[in-house]
Amino acid sequence: MTNTIAVQMSGVVKRFPGVVANDGVEFELRRGEVHALLGENGAGKSTLSNILTGLYRPDEGTIELNGAPVSFSSPRDALNAGIGMVHQHFRLVETFSVAENVVLGNPDTAFLLDTAAINERVKELAARYDMAVDPEARIWQLSVGEQQRVEILKVLYRGAQVLILDEPTAVLTPIEADALFRTLRAMTAEGRTVIFISHKLDEVMAVSDRITVLRGGRTVGTVDTSTTNKRDLASMMVGRNVEFTRVQRKTPAQANDVVLHVENLGAHDDRGRDALHGITLTVGRGEIVGIAGVAGNGQRELAEVIAGMRHTTTGSVSVEGKILQSGKARAAIAGGVAHVPEDRLHTGLAAGHSVEDNLALKSYRSSLLSRFGLLRRQAMRDGATELVERYDVKTPSTQTAVRLLSGGNVQKVLLAREFSTGPKVLIAASPTRGLDVGAIESVRERLVEAADGGLGVLLISEDLDEIMSLADRIAVMYEGRIVAVIPADKADRETIGLLMGGSQLEATS
Amino acid sequence: MNNSLLIVILASAIFYGTPLLFAALGGVFTERSGVLNLGVEGMMLIGGVSGAWASQHIGGSAWFTVFASILVAMFAGGLTALLHAFLCVTLKANQTVAGLSITIFAGALGLSSYFANVWKVAAHPVTRPIRKLDVLGLADAPVVGPLLFNHTILTYVSWVLVAASSFYLFRTKTGLQLRAVGESPQTADAMGINVVKYRYFHTVLGGMLAGIGGAFYSLAIVSTWVDGLTKGAGWIAIALVIFGFWRPDLTLVGAYLFGALQSLGTTLKARSFHISGDLLDALPFIMTIVVLVLVSSRFAHKRLGAPAALGVPYEREER
Amino acid sequence: MKSPVRLERRLEQPKWLNWAIPVISLLGALAVGAIVLLLTGKNPIDVYQRIFERGFLSTRALTGTLRTATPFAFTGLCAAAAFRLGVINIGGEGQLYMGAIGASYVGLVMGNSYPVGIVIIAMVFAGMIFGGMYAGFVGLLRAQFNTNEIITSLMMNYIAGIVLNYLIFNSLSYWRDPRSAGFPSGKPLDKRAFWPSYEIGGVGISFGLILAAFVAAAVWVLYKRSRFGFEIGVIADSPRAARYIGIRTKTTIVAVTALSGALAGIGGASQVGDFTHYLDAKGLQLNSFGYTGIVVAALARLNPLGAIVVAILLGGLTNAGYSLQGPDFPSGLVGTLQGLILFTAVAGEILMKYRVKRNTAAKKATVAS
Repeated sequence: MTNTIAVQMSGVVKRFPGVVANDGVEFELRRGEVHALLGENGAGKSTLSNILTGLYRPDEGTIELNGAPVSFSSPRDALNAGIGMVHQHFRLVETFSVAENVVLGNPDTAFLLDTAAINERVKELAARYDMAVDPEARIWQLSVGEQQRVEILKVLYRGAQVLILDEPTAVLTPIEADALFRTLRAMTAEGRTVIFISHKLDEVMAVSDRITVLRGGRTVGTVDTSTTNKRDLASMMVGRNVEFTRVQRKTPAQANDVVLHVENLGAHDDRGRDALHGITLTVGRGEIVGIAGVAGNGQRELAEVIAGMRHTTTGSVSVEGKILQSGKARAAIAGGVAHVPEDRLHTGLAAGHSVEDNLALKSYRSSLLSRFGLLRRQAMRDGATELVERYDVKTPSTQTAVRLLSGGNVQKVLLAREFSTGPKVLIAASPTRGLDVGAIESVRERLVEAADGGLGVLLISEDLDEIMSLADRIAVMYEGRIVAVIPADKADRETIGLLMGGSQLEATS
Repeated sequence: MNNSLLIVILASAIFYGTPLLFAALGGVFTERSGVLNLGVEGMMLIGGVSGAWASQHIGGSAWFTVFASILVAMFAGGLTALLHAFLCVTLKANQTVAGLSITIFAGALGLSSYFANVWKVAAHPVTRPIRKLDVLGLADAPVVGPLLFNHTILTYVSWVLVAASSFYLFRTKTGLQLRAVGESPQTADAMGINVVKYRYFHTVLGGMLAGIGGAFYSLAIVSTWVDGLTKGAGWIAIALVIFGFWRPDLTLVGAYLFGALQSLGTTLKARSFHISGDLLDALPFIMTIVVLVLVSSRFAHKRLGAPAALGVPYEREER
Repeated sequence: MKSPVRLERRLEQPKWLNWAIPVISLLGALAVGAIVLLLTGKNPIDVYQRIFERGFLSTRALTGTLRTATPFAFTGLCAAAAFRLGVINIGGEGQLYMGAIGASYVGLVMGNSYPVGIVIIAMVFAGMIFGGMYAGFVGLLRAQFNTNEIITSLMMNYIAGIVLNYLIFNSLSYWRDPRSAGFPSGKPLDKRAFWPSYEIGGVGISFGLILAAFVAAAVWVLYKRSRFGFEIGVIADSPRAARYIGIRTKTTIVAVTALSGALAGIGGASQVGDFTHYLDAKGLQLNSFGYTGIVVAALARLNPLGAIVVAILLGGLTNAGYSLQGPDFPSGLVGTLQGLILFTAVAGEILMKYRVKRNTAAKKATVAS
């Protein structure tokens, strides 16, 4: 059975305005295997899977399913043919129950909804694959890990033989990830086939039978997991040899010369529930403090409170000993807080505005850039031209809208502006997420350079490797609390992984 | 007893609330699919003028004329809504401005008035209006007579419709899929539900119901054609959808509340109460604002029932 | 089954589209209007020709057109000012009534005791304040309670109309002419409260229209060149970015809505000062100035200077409608055409976002590769 070809994709090309996302991809899937699709962000993994599931139509190329050519014009076609996808961003209706989401769109569902029977069937299915979910719970009540299970159930319920999981572990704790791997094994044991999309080498090595590596929209090659190793995979992925090492600092951090002091901080999330519980934290001059944690454990709220975008319920934030007014972004900016938000394009920048406008976004009120309430356009233009040059932003002109720039250049614009305001503290939330390798390296260099220059950096990232290689100290966040602060040279992945999952907390409390 | 002020107000609340209910139910369907329809007023007026025209030109028994006029009004309202759906779903236009354009195009000074002039609808009163019925001969029964047994056929249809729409929305597969389209078209699409088809269908359905609402004005309340005779009812209906939390049953309550407000002036003046007629005229509009403020402020965080994707055009290949 | 054309997202939006889209929209509206006319047994070419003649082709026609265009210019600016922030203020109608009420009050009080210039300035400001406060309330509800401003501003239109009726028809208010017992009407203003008018080549131009042009220029500077305009732009583009840099979004919403209402309010003042010289409760409500303003703003693509040009265009259409009205030219026709213009302007925006391509690209690409 294992050697039967389930899916064969050849010469797949998909163009979007301005980009070629897939440029002649070759991909072969054998029945009953877990096949990892490995590649950097932007390598074309998601596009390829969206083509396979009928969301996009390829501009060129062929797809064969069980040896017969197919052409899907919608996800429905693909589902009916037995191909289902678990998206990275969940496709769930928040206000619906688990069971309602699972049966949604299923042609076999009767016109009249028999809620009790549906709940029962969903429950059975979940039990069969060792997944714990309550069919009657509403999606918005569930944790991210549980929501992912609903996504998987949806696809299984439709009888999919081929399941595509797009970066499924990005939102999971290590323990949840292990549970997911068990579920995947249970599925392949039944003869189902799994495509596992990822850019994390460790888990790809752990879970897959074979690996196809994509780079720049092309297939680099397909290898058996048992005959390869992380280093080879990494060089296939990036196109050259990569070293996994800690960054060397020119100037040592001065942890005792505190620039940012967060004391007993509490705050609500957008729904008005407590998101932060008595956070106390310091960042010293020239120090990089990493915040590790699974997304949604209060990191975003912490960043927003420090940046003055969110009110505190308890405690205070002070920079160089001066307490910042709560919930006043302008006070935070004036106090020397720079902030690279998670959502660069729509929070950190006004995407429809020009590079010039965006570079002035925090200083347009200064006497340099405006007089009598009117903007001094020439001064803005000069300032922008200078920053574009200094930070090597690749843009047709300073008048180009930021949304038209590539991810790396968007981040450069944002960093250029933040550094240009002469900050004392930088809050950087997932500063390299979604960037290509070159851009990641340049962003990391900039951060280290700024810290060497005396800036205190609070680096919030879900990428543990990034934190391990950049931070001087690592604080782990779990459910709105700092559960541990560990000097980076004493930290190991396993401990931090456990802390991120909240296990240490339970053991000690 | 049946002449007591309370009974009269309640009975006329149902009468005046009926067109609001039809239009608002239409709004519930349209908005549940994620399409915001600010063209309701225009659709009502088109329905009103077409219904009046049909009533003047279609012969046969009185019942047949009424039936046919309502069908014509539905068809006309639906056709107007089709334009809206084309703008919003196919062209992915800004739904707010699209709806406004429908209301200005079809509204009091637009196509409905043009048709009325060209077809000479305003020249004659409607001779075969939608009359109140005497159901089971109980119209004069104390209390229940005026409240339950002395309404137009459309009022009874609207009651059935409220029950049917609740059932459709919450107990059937299509209703579930419709709500999914309004909550998260991405999800619906990924699950193989045809977002475009659902949005078109329910926008047109909403327009048909608005058309009936408009015909109720020209065939029952005013019983002749006057330009702009709905006087903002379409807008109140839009507010009622919000007020009813996108649920048919609560929409009925809201519609009758506003029906009462609208009829209050006429009722009280007939009884020579000394209350400013202008204030009474303004009351429905003032109350709409008050209700909107209450609903939007107190429950703003809970977002009771508002379809999450309301007003957002759905684009699949967005990158 | 494939459609012959497909839409492709534009990356850049070329500048020439700013005038090309309105022109295409206008032509599209005339084309669809022609279908409506044909269906109802009229000759479209004949109708359009007469509209053009009566709207633009004589000094008398032009005078009337500019007169009609004056309120459209103000309500157009009103809609454009608010829409730019994403606040859909469709209350220009009611705000214009309020401006007329305020300006006529000031005109009546000050008209016989102050110099002409002072009276006119006071009337303009009274119009702005009345219209601005009336709209400011809508803005306040939106900013404070997140109340849907579309519906509230519209409800306020109906309420303003009822206020007008009350002042002139149903009460013995200060505005009502006590001598008009039989058919109630507004109290006439003193001559000194009349706004001046000018004549160029036989075409009469009201002070109000000239004022509108200056106001449009000021609004343009405010939105394009000022700090405040910059902040408005950021809020409209991304509310989260506005929060990120600490812009007071709520205050800005209230301020912009009030400004928008103030612009409509000047339009109301101009009705009183330029044309009627009394508070004309009926006349104000007949023409739906406010709704036409939405059409003006949309067709001008929210550009304040463009709004003046479009206002004159629609002024011509409406003015022709007035003079042609009769069995041959039914009254709803102008409104229908206006609605169609808005309709096609909305539809035309798709050309800003997408380019239309013949659906042959896929084949070509195969050949090329």
